[in-house]
Amino acid sequence: MGMGGGGGSGARSDINVTPLIDVLLVLLIIFMVIQPSTMRGLDTLVPQPPKNHDAEPDTRTIVVQVLGSGGGNPSYKINEDAVTIDTLTAKLQEIFATRNDKVMFVKGDKDLDFGQVLPVINDGHAAGVDNIGIITPAVESGH
Amino acid sequence: MAQATRDEGKKVNSDINVTPMVDVMLVLLIIFMVVTPMLNNKVNIELPPATAAVVMEDASKEDAIVVAVTRDGKTFLGGDQVQAADLGPRITDKLENKTDKRVYFRGDIRSNYGKCMDAIDGIRAAGVSQLGMIAEKPLI
Repeated sequence: MGMGGGGGSGARSDINVTPLIDVLLVLLIIFMVIQPSTMRGLDTLVPQPPKNHDAEPDTRTIVVQVLGSGGGNPSYKINEDAVTIDTLTAKLQEIFATRNDKVMFVKGDKDLDFGQVLPVINDGHAAGVDNIGIITPAVESGH
Repeated sequence: MAQATRDEGKKVNSDINVTPMVDVMLVLLIIFMVVTPMLNNKVNIELPPATAAVVMEDASKEDAIVVAVTRDGKTFLGGDQVQAADLGPRITDKLENKTDKRVYFRGDIRSNYGKCMDAIDGIRAAGVSQLGMIAEKPLI
């Protein structure tokens, strides 16, 4: 070979890649373990109750209600119109298509499970509503 | 050399080669060192699925304020159990020297929504307006 002058054996000029592959595999494993723990979530707002209680409620405000029905599937209402969970995203998209203020509120019965209310927030985000406020009984009564 | 040669005349080396084992052990050690602090301060909660969930980088930070409501209706701030009524002042304390006034909420999929609203009221009492609802993005 070119360099080795002394020995009769030919010098090997390949790089030993085994340690490199070892290290890369370890990094791969570490990132595989870490990756699922990145948290994902939905942005929501917690509105402060209005200062003056006599203020006229805005008729354009969209409130999605989740009503429990004694252990069964909950029913959903956009303001006063009943909707099903499947059509909720489409309905919201239709309503907010012509609006500039992407604001809606979510109000749920206190007997429900959290997992039955979160889909409404999710559908709101899916429909492009950026500001979703959560109404609690304390906000409604103005405390 | 590329080809293995048989040296039958040489003494047989009967020691176990421990280097790969040590390698593996060190890797496991590193993995557990990385993972343990992440698992430590979390309350065991089954997160509800949400397809529109976005990545919340700050939620997994060490100093993030996370309120959790478990399936049996208990409220946790970080890793400590608290009463919903005490949440307000305690979050106010924690927020005092932080610029990011954002609180994260982890609700169990089967937790009572009334309890969740009590916790949200507590968060509201601390003057927080932005709440990140942690959910799980289902793999499609």
